[in-house]
Amino acid sequence: MMNLAAYLFISLVLFLCGIIVIIARKNIVAILIGMELILNAAALNFVAYSRYVTHHIDGHIFPLFIIVVAAAEAVVGLAIVIRFFQIKETIHIDDATQLQS
Amino acid sequence: MTSYMTNLAFYVPELIVVGAMILLLFIYAFSGGSSKKLNTILSTVAAFILVFVGYLQFGFLQAPIQEIFSRSVVIDQFGTILKMVMVVGTLGVIYMAMVSQEIVEDLKFEFIILVLGVLVGAMLLVSATSMITIYVGLETISIISYALSALKKNDDLSAEAGLKYVLYGGFASGVMLFGMSHIYGVLGTLFVYDFPAQLASLTFDNMLVLVPAFLMFFVGLGYKISAVPFHMWTPDVYEGSPVPVTTFFAIVPKVAALGALYRLSTVLIGQETILATTWITLIGIVGALTMTVGNIAAIGQRSVKRMLAYSSISHAGFIILATLVVDQIGSRSLVFYAIVYLFMTLVAFMITGAVSDKYGNDYFDRFRGLILRYPLMAISMVIIMLSLAGIPPLAGFVAKFNILAAIIKEGYYTLAVIAGLNSVISLYYYMKIVRLMVLKEAESTEDIANFSISVQSVVIFLTIPVVFLGIFWETILAFANGAQIFIK
Repeated sequence: MMNLAAYLFISLVLFLCGIIVIIARKNIVAILIGMELILNAAALNFVAYSRYVTHHIDGHIFPLFIIVVAAAEAVVGLAIVIRFFQIKETIHIDDATQLQS
Repeated sequence: MTSYMTNLAFYVPELIVVGAMILLLFIYAFSGGSSKKLNTILSTVAAFILVFVGYLQFGFLQAPIQEIFSRSVVIDQFGTILKMVMVVGTLGVIYMAMVSQEIVEDLKFEFIILVLGVLVGAMLLVSATSMITIYVGLETISIISYALSALKKNDDLSAEAGLKYVLYGGFASGVMLFGMSHIYGVLGTLFVYDFPAQLASLTFDNMLVLVPAFLMFFVGLGYKISAVPFHMWTPDVYEGSPVPVTTFFAIVPKVAALGALYRLSTVLIGQETILATTWITLIGIVGALTMTVGNIAAIGQRSVKRMLAYSSISHAGFIILATLVVDQIGSRSLVFYAIVYLFMTLVAFMITGAVSDKYGNDYFDRFRGLILRYPLMAISMVIIMLSLAGIPPLAGFVAKFNILAAIIKEGYYTLAVIAGLNSVISLYYYMKIVRLMVLKEAESTEDIANFSISVQSVVIFLTIPVVFLGIFWETILAFANGAQIFIK
């Protein structure tokens, strides 16, 4: 029998995995995948909370928004990555250093 | 509970902007290929629609505050005035794009449609009262902004700017969502205005989850405001994007996110909880850091655009301080600053854009001796720089003074001192460009094509409010005084 804590633990692990991927991986596509992990962690949290704590439909609606927005974000993100690849012929994050902060 | 159709009546301006996007897309699709003439038509249509939308907002200033769409969106005077600021900003930016040579003709229609899209998101964000609408508004701004910053398709700097924006932006919104999910779990509601009632009955364990969750929530908003420490993307994106896009980023998303932050502050501040204390500390520290880091980084810049980018960070820091004061004086000072900031930013970037179009870069030296060649432009730039630094009797001074008065009233003396010191620091780099324009000799005597009669008149037209608001600030303060925010 799963309980709330188990879901929260899984989502926390997903979230941390996402952050580690974003920080550690140098491949831009991998970084985009890391972002998806974070978004899914949040969506999982919403559903788990609404199932075990709030018993309210709001928590089910929000993940739907997250899924739609994440898809839109991935579309634009990948389009920019493809453009970057066509110009630089690499998808290594360390090659994006022309603009120095 | 009002019906859905009645709700829509309060949402007409946003719907018109959405309709305008579709209309422009259709005009473009059926006219076959872009031309200068078509772009003129498209921009004129967009401008008229925006003027109409701005005009409609005046109607909402008089109307009573209204919660619509199952309480997800609130139409109040505070949001309405900020929407006006954003509409005027969009209008100015569309004009800039039309005269800019940096955005080629083929891309101008795309630019217009995309900025209208961001405007819709920004208008949703300032009036959002549910976490869903806040998230959707923020992401509408973000996703379209990614495309905007990568607008120059074959330019490697533009592509890199877009890439950095996507990576930082996706990360920040993911963290914000994770925070939101825990807020929902602990407080059991998505509606911002239900937070206070729920906060009252919380145990210490709940707070242990809730405080980090709100910090995460702040990441998403702070990233859009480009508050330190989430400002890393700002200089790069601002530098890599075309000047009109940079101007747009410095105005519309920032104002929208500051509006949302203020709304959140009105809910959280004012109670005796650990959360309220943490939130005040967080905003105070972030505001002070944002001002200081922005100013100090601006000193060493070679490019005027990059300098203005850092200066816009420090101005955002100033406005963040206003979110500490959650009464009428606070909302008034925030709105006033936003109005003044709009004019100052538009003029500063318009002149920089014209110079950088001519020479291909916008280093400080390109401004040498501008006063002899284009005296009106140079004088406008001097006025704007003095106003940005907060020298009386210009509007920038009154705006800063209002915020200082508001935070001193609440007793945040340290923050007031830091803000004052920052104004002094900022004077240094603003004066650097004034010195070059006025005291140095020009590098060349070639005409700058982009300082045409129409551009000069628009620049002067936009500079007049900065002088006018500095002297006759009571009128606009009375207007800003009506910026009533919905409080449950």
